[in-house]
Amino acid sequence: MKEKLAELRRDGEARITAAATVSLLQEAKGALIGRRGALTELLKEIPKLDPALRPEIGGAANELKNYLSRLVDEREEALRLSDSAISSDFDLSIPGIPPISGALHPITQMRYDLDDTFRSLGFEIFQEDDITSEMYAFDNLNFPPDHPARESMDTYWLAGHDEGHGGERLCLRPHLTGASVRYMRTHKPPYRFVYPGRVYRNETTDARHERAFFQYEALVVDHDLPFTAGKVMVKSILDRVFGRDVPVRMRVGFFPFVEPGYEIDMRCLVCGGKGCSVCKNVGWIEIMPGGTPHPNVLRAANLDPAEYTGFYVNIGLDRLVMMRYGVDDVRLFHSADLRFLSLFK
Amino acid sequence: MKISLNWLKDYIDIPEDLDLSKLAYDLTMSTVEVEGATSMSEKFKNIVIGKIEQVLPHPNADKLRICRTDVGDGDVKDIVCGGINLRDDMRVAVAKPGALVRWHGEGEPVEIKNAKLRGVESYGMICASSEIGLFELFPFDENATIVDLSDFCSPPGTPLEKALEIDDVILDIDNKSLTNRPDLWGHYGMAREISALYGIPLKPLPSSELPASDGDLRIEIDDSVRCARYMGLRIENVNTKPASFKIQSRIWRVGMRPINALVDITNYVMLAVGQPTHAFDSGNIEGGITVRRARDGEKLLLLNDRELALTNEDLVIADDEEAVALAGVMGGRKDSILEGTTDVILEIANFSPLGVRKTATRFDVRTEASIRYEKGVDPQRVDQAAAIGVSLLKSEFPEARITGKVDNYPRPLEKTRVTASLDWLARRMGKRLPDETIKMMLERLGFGVEIKGDELRVLVPSWRSTGDISLPDDIMEEIARLHGYENFDPTPITSAFEHSINQRGHELERRLREYLSFRCGMREIFTYPWMKDEFIAAIAAPTGDMLKIAAPPAPDERYIRSTLLPNLARAVSENIRFYDEFSIYELAQVFSNREYGSPYDERERLPLQRRCLAGAVVGDGAKTQELFRRAKGILENMSRWAHMEDLSLEQTSESEKPAWADDVVWLDVKREEKTVGHLALLSRKSALAAGIKQASVMLFELDVDSLEPFTSRTNHFRRLPEYPQVEYDISMIFDEKARWSDVESVVLGKKGPGDLIRSVSFIDEYRGRQIPQGKKSLTLRLVIGSDEKTLTSDEIEKSAGLITKRLAKQLGGDLRV
Repeated sequence: MKEKLAELRRDGEARITAAATVSLLQEAKGALIGRRGALTELLKEIPKLDPALRPEIGGAANELKNYLSRLVDEREEALRLSDSAISSDFDLSIPGIPPISGALHPITQMRYDLDDTFRSLGFEIFQEDDITSEMYAFDNLNFPPDHPARESMDTYWLAGHDEGHGGERLCLRPHLTGASVRYMRTHKPPYRFVYPGRVYRNETTDARHERAFFQYEALVVDHDLPFTAGKVMVKSILDRVFGRDVPVRMRVGFFPFVEPGYEIDMRCLVCGGKGCSVCKNVGWIEIMPGGTPHPNVLRAANLDPAEYTGFYVNIGLDRLVMMRYGVDDVRLFHSADLRFLSLFK
Repeated sequence: MKISLNWLKDYIDIPEDLDLSKLAYDLTMSTVEVEGATSMSEKFKNIVIGKIEQVLPHPNADKLRICRTDVGDGDVKDIVCGGINLRDDMRVAVAKPGALVRWHGEGEPVEIKNAKLRGVESYGMICASSEIGLFELFPFDENATIVDLSDFCSPPGTPLEKALEIDDVILDIDNKSLTNRPDLWGHYGMAREISALYGIPLKPLPSSELPASDGDLRIEIDDSVRCARYMGLRIENVNTKPASFKIQSRIWRVGMRPINALVDITNYVMLAVGQPTHAFDSGNIEGGITVRRARDGEKLLLLNDRELALTNEDLVIADDEEAVALAGVMGGRKDSILEGTTDVILEIANFSPLGVRKTATRFDVRTEASIRYEKGVDPQRVDQAAAIGVSLLKSEFPEARITGKVDNYPRPLEKTRVTASLDWLARRMGKRLPDETIKMMLERLGFGVEIKGDELRVLVPSWRSTGDISLPDDIMEEIARLHGYENFDPTPITSAFEHSINQRGHELERRLREYLSFRCGMREIFTYPWMKDEFIAAIAAPTGDMLKIAAPPAPDERYIRSTLLPNLARAVSENIRFYDEFSIYELAQVFSNREYGSPYDERERLPLQRRCLAGAVVGDGAKTQELFRRAKGILENMSRWAHMEDLSLEQTSESEKPAWADDVVWLDVKREEKTVGHLALLSRKSALAAGIKQASVMLFELDVDSLEPFTSRTNHFRRLPEYPQVEYDISMIFDEKARWSDVESVVLGKKGPGDLIRSVSFIDEYRGRQIPQGKKSLTLRLVIGSDEKTLTSDEIEKSAGLITKRLAKQLGGDLRV
């Protein structure tokens, strides 16, 4: 009898441990200690035993029942914890439910990235109104009185405000640079600021030309700032936009409001500088103009050009976004076409 | 502008080892943008001189011949050709296999291959001038005329460009990069620049003996502001024969068409020194020449047969009878060089940039001359041009006589003087260059330089004194660019600042955008500031307050926006073709024709300009209520996410419905007591007018400048409840007229000391089978709790029961069981 009990103990331990699911475990439990289980069957034989042995065997059998019952409970607990609530046929390839699908305009995205970059360099952000005057668009910026940009074939002058001169002749701003004088007139030097915004040109539109486009301009003004400080600003912009170090070069360029002026080129990222159709085989792409504010511009800002100098860079965000993502038509930016906008996250 | 390397070599000895791409690079970095270079040997690759030994008939074709042609070193090939002027011993251009030609001078270039023509093997092709891009140098009248090169005696096999002595490289310069450099609009100026870049000497221009003034030729200048100098040379005994091949091919290489020797000489002079010149037939000049303003309405027939009605703003060259040329822009028909011309007056004059530009713009006539005058040519250059012109005339027309000369020079140009500090230069460049280097660089460009202690005194040459150089900064640029911008190291920006940056207005704008995009699932759009009349009308936006563009992008896009809604409606209407449900917004400026002034400058009068935010939530017309709740939710929660003072949405007795809004579904958006915008369903009428047929469109518009950002991040702490609070839902049936706002105020209305209601919220609204007609069921959720103890279920039930009773009594609500 003792041996039978010992055998049942071994057998029970093995079956309980082997039960892979709760139902198999229940099955094993029934077979071991259930009403018709092996132990019950053994217990039925106790009355046939020598009465002197009965208490000992009976105690051992009860102990075994409790033991197995405890084993089953432990095993059941373990199985329940490891069990998945879901059928193993669960389809893991079903697409997830997207959260909301909104986005900033791709140009706003780029603009905010640049804002963050310049903020980290201690630049303030400034915004000028879209309508400006000839005084701020041209006079203050050293544009000669006969400059062609002052004519209506280049600039959108406002009807009824297009005849006078200076502060009374109004237009949709043709560039951002006028804003720099507004900022300087209302703040104390030294200056470090950026002023993003939309500008307007009276142009015939095509895939590369738009009437409204976004520019991002930065200006730093201080005592005796060498023009080479501008190289730092240029690199900050391009590293942020393209996510890596982009070789740039500064070469001679001419704009009325700077002296000296520069064209700033970046290494063509398509061919790596070897020459391709994108860079017209030059290996470089003209990316932004820049320069030292012309003394007349500083004077317009009530600064003494003998004391202060600075550096501008101006970048066309439309063009930059086009290059970054390979967009082939600048007109898409103002199209409000969601098929286009929904490509940007 | 095109620049010929060979031409430059007349003026400088370009080092043999100077790589062309290096020259293009250095010019681009320091002077002007070189866009490309064309090599003649590349262009005429595999095209050689051939000598036809014998012209034989073609066995299978009447119009074709077989030319037994020596293509070099006694290599005689049979070439099938349909030329009408083929003859024995003729020298021709042979395009060997591999050459590029245009069939009959048309279409894209094709590569020549050996071929069988009507059964006869042909090696390459004997070309017409048009087929190898030489038509302008070798024009012909009749088709199938082969270019006859018998005058060029190079042996067969000589590459074509060598035989014609046109082996050259042409640099293509971006004209935009030349805008501020009037001195570079000719080869001599460009040579000077290269001489300065590389330190190679610049040769002097040829000089010519000019006759003394002749009283017989009369030239008067009425307007010396517009014409600072006018030199006229009368030349007799010339004709309109073609120029020598050397002159023709030179001007042809830089993009001009040879016409006749007289015209070609004037062009040559301009291309050499950048000084435009003009030749009149003096036989057609009545009396003398006067440079004067045109009379209003005066007529002038131009060379190109266009008749202009002039204005008093235009400067003309006139004889005693009438205007004969538009000064600095284009000659007239009357005095033009024609077949029988024998005597001419050569005009070498200086006209002011502004006048020429205005006239050229007014009549939309841009010529090589006007482009140069517009940049500001110095009057001293007249002498250079006269010297070159006369020397060319003498060589092209040995029999010509100069019988008159007048040099009327009322307004000599004063050379500019600039003084700069060397110390200042070093600080601005971030680098000190040796005094000697600075002196040498400037002198190579033609500047007079004197250094006295820290003072750099510069005398600017005439060709840079017409506005280009006037400041110490200009001098710095000259030095820095010649030194090479690449040779300066970047300098860190080191300004010190006293305060951190705190720009609430900007942050608000960005938070609004990020809230709408990232929290509300809306997409930001950009539209133009001008609007189509159609959509202004659809929104019923009053145009009285709108500004207009003087020369608008389109006749129906004159108005610029005083509201963002017309363009938003247009964007909705255009996107609805592709999407059933979407939401978009724009944040931009709007403009009103009033309240003129300027915060920056008392001399300025700018109109009222405000930042505005507008959005559209678009969806199925059957789900208007859901759209309304979504749009309303966007505005209700905006203040929380954008960190600004609260907005409220309501329709009060003094509210005014926007013209575009639905009669029922519209609300004012208010900050404190001020209306700062609207939220409404786009009315049926407006939607249809905007081309929106099925969908419902909820629109909102807010004046961003009226929103008030918090001065810092603002939250409110409340102590956490000590005792549990219970949520308790109640559903009641109300009349359709009952408003949630009334239910809310009844629930929260009478706050007594024993009131246990902490808050109430809307759960849903239901109409359906169990609900009688004209009624609706409202489910609301109460939060019930006490600050003093844990409530028993009896106490909770009692508290909720009080609410249902109150709602039943005051609003006629019926508890749903």
